[in-house]
Amino acid sequence: MKRRKITALFMTTALAVSVLGGCGGGGSDSDAGKGSVANDSTETGGSAASSKGDGDVIEFTAFFAVPGAEKNDDNEIKEIIAEKTGAKVKETWLTGQTASEAVGTIVAGGEYPDFIDGGDAMKTLYDAGALVAWDDYIDKYPNIKEYYSDEEWDKFRQDDGHIYWMNQFNNIYGEDKTTTHNDEAFWVQARVLEWADYPQIKTLDQYFDLLTSYAEANPTMEDGTKNIPYTILCEDWRYFCLENAPQFLDGYPNDGSVIVDPEGPTIVDYNTTDTAKRYFQKLNEEYHKGNVDPESFTQTYDEYIAKLSTGAVLGMCDQWWDFAFDVHDVFKQQGLDTIGCNYVPLGLTIDEGMENQWHTTGGTLNVASGLGITTSCQDVDAAFQFVNDLLGQEVHDLRYWGVQGVDYDVDENGMYFRTEDQRMNAADTAYKASHLCDYSYFPNWKGSSRDGKNAMWPEEQTSEFLDSLAEPVAKCFEAYGVSTYPEMIGSVDKVGEWFPMYSFSNTMTTETPGGVAWTKMGEVKHEWLPKVVMADDFEDGWSQYMEVYNAANPQDFLSEMQAELDRRVGK
Amino acid sequence: MGILKERWRGEGMARTGAKANEKKITWKEVKRQKVLLIWSAAIVIYGIIFYYLPLGGWITAFQNYKPKDGLFHSKFVGLDKFKFLFSDDTFIKVVRNTVAMGVINLVVTFVMAIVFAILLNEVKNTFGKKTVQTISYLPHFLSWIIVTGILHDVLSGTGIINEVLMKLSIVDQPINFFAHTTYFWPIVAFANVWKETGWNAIIYLSAITAIDPSLYEAASMDGAGRWAKIKHITLPGIRPTIMILLLMNVGNVLNAGFEIQYLLGNGLVKSVSETIDIYVLKWGISQNDFSLGTAAGIFKSLVSIILIVIANQMAKRAGEERLF
Repeated sequence: MKRRKITALFMTTALAVSVLGGCGGGGSDSDAGKGSVANDSTETGGSAASSKGDGDVIEFTAFFAVPGAEKNDDNEIKEIIAEKTGAKVKETWLTGQTASEAVGTIVAGGEYPDFIDGGDAMKTLYDAGALVAWDDYIDKYPNIKEYYSDEEWDKFRQDDGHIYWMNQFNNIYGEDKTTTHNDEAFWVQARVLEWADYPQIKTLDQYFDLLTSYAEANPTMEDGTKNIPYTILCEDWRYFCLENAPQFLDGYPNDGSVIVDPEGPTIVDYNTTDTAKRYFQKLNEEYHKGNVDPESFTQTYDEYIAKLSTGAVLGMCDQWWDFAFDVHDVFKQQGLDTIGCNYVPLGLTIDEGMENQWHTTGGTLNVASGLGITTSCQDVDAAFQFVNDLLGQEVHDLRYWGVQGVDYDVDENGMYFRTEDQRMNAADTAYKASHLCDYSYFPNWKGSSRDGKNAMWPEEQTSEFLDSLAEPVAKCFEAYGVSTYPEMIGSVDKVGEWFPMYSFSNTMTTETPGGVAWTKMGEVKHEWLPKVVMADDFEDGWSQYMEVYNAANPQDFLSEMQAELDRRVGK
Repeated sequence: MGILKERWRGEGMARTGAKANEKKITWKEVKRQKVLLIWSAAIVIYGIIFYYLPLGGWITAFQNYKPKDGLFHSKFVGLDKFKFLFSDDTFIKVVRNTVAMGVINLVVTFVMAIVFAILLNEVKNTFGKKTVQTISYLPHFLSWIIVTGILHDVLSGTGIINEVLMKLSIVDQPINFFAHTTYFWPIVAFANVWKETGWNAIIYLSAITAIDPSLYEAASMDGAGRWAKIKHITLPGIRPTIMILLLMNVGNVLNAGFEIQYLLGNGLVKSVSETIDIYVLKWGISQNDFSLGTAAGIFKSLVSIILIVIANQMAKRAGEERLF
């Protein structure tokens, strides 16, 4: 009897300890389980390009420090890819935290997923020694090697001389087929342009005139929802929607954290320019006239997306990737695309007659972040093999086009196309979770397919793009005499070799005075930009803001940026 | 009512009397209490592993800790991190916010719970009483993410509060509650009251049940009304409970919260919404300065210990119940 009591006691203690340790222990358990499977298949995984199903599928884990939609465990295309490559990945995404918080937590715990993209916090992972160096592997995997030129690979080298990650996006294979403007712009709904009979909108003032006169003439949508002329997303890092427009309005490209004046070249702070002041003054005026959504500065990202999805927001400044995939899919499902709710970009500048650089061509290489493989990964070779396989044309088609005959069809010339039903499926959240598997944060190609005819992405297939355009958008393009989004905004191909500078500022840490200044500047702007826009007396608000801003020592930051710029242009 | 006071004193005396009666520790006694000893050993071990060993991590506050170098190879920097901390305006502001919200929450939730318990106790209809009690403590089981979601909806420009205010013509424009620093602390206090009052009242309700009914009967005989009974019997009856809970909560003042401020805050109200915990998260985790985060954590723990000791001493002086 007594013995049983003691046993029970130990059981309870053990249970308690295992429950409490569960958070940390969970990872290692699954790692151990995976390790044994991984060992079995090392030979097959390491040698052949695609070791076709010998039953053992390696299951990797991945964490991406951006919000994303989870795939179902039995996702159909994931299974097909697993059959072809012998591996699959359980992807997890950011929920409710910022990227650096999530990565910081992972680093503090010391247990990593196999693959990781830490976003802005990539440097943190490197500093923590969490990443595997790629140098010995790149040459072994042709598809990976092919992804970047040697010079481009060199740009990824960290201060210890090794490569730890590769950026997965914006790389163009063969001919550039860009049809979307995957960047920032002042967006406006097609119905607004149609109502105003397609005027030329070149400046911020004209833009707001357009939005407000439309809202006056049409206070509500057909279903009675009140039209919101302009809203601003300011949550956490996404406050770029409010913050960085002055660089574009001044006619410069998206260096992200600074303007680079090609004369010199020198770094210019876009927070303090006259253009910045005029931009915020304009927002202030419109805010007090009631044209800027009063919830702008308090809404969360989810609330913002929900608001856009109603179709009631006439315009905003944002990056295409930050809203379009979610919102336009909802429009399609709800039929809002047919009444012209879809957004088209406008290449605004502060004054008329300036050239704009909202759109830059030729792909943008952001070396600050990317996909890394961690030291917790049990079978690094298999991991590289999997990335390599994902870049193969067959798997790439599966990722972005889907299954032939189900998600797309092929015509007699070998051109891929989709029917309206297939397009509708591709915009359906449930279908995306259960059937489509694009492994979106693994490296992928833009541009043209290796078959020389098709595009890597359906969106970039000219015929498919034109067929899938919502009718009001197509009409709008026709009215302006353009055929794609980049043409709509006016694209420029002349950015300097330093571009983009944000790939440096994103890696700054509080180790250096510049990094501390950069953090503090961000904190000040987060608090003061909304205040300035809401201020009853703009001039007063602006001068208070400037005072606090200067107290954050922006000069420390700017001089470190200048040093990096000089390094990049080889001065 | 003098008799009553005596009664409470008497109880206290009986308790101190028990101390003098302590048995000597003999092997026989140890054997007899074997099971109990094993149990307590397990708990002590648990305490050491989960409460004391992690304190070793405090060393990082005096280092420039890098995850790569670990605890043993990071460079010691003395009190540098603390110096940075106290010269940082943000930190001072954050401490102010934490203390302010902590005190407001403590006072409001504390008072509300006692008032609510007493009111509930006065309800004679058992069914009504039980129903209200159940409904009122349910919010305790909601996580903050849900509560903040509800708050966001309710207080939004088109939310019910603004609708009502507009309908009653109290305001002509919806109030944007989350855009003004003045509203933030009251919103947090309200949320805490809404969520925890019912739950906190349970302990007082049970304390009230323990009061000898004959006291009430006696009071009625003396002609005491409801109000007098509350004042002279119920409140003194639960005073020891109130004191102990107050003491424990004083130590918690700096735990003014993390989730609610984190989830409800935004750039505009940052200057009043950020608490020490958020600061630790921001610098310790996001900026990867674990040492600074630890230093802020140590500061918080020290202040909490000091607060609880002071409160305990004061309770001792006043001759009230105390923790130690």
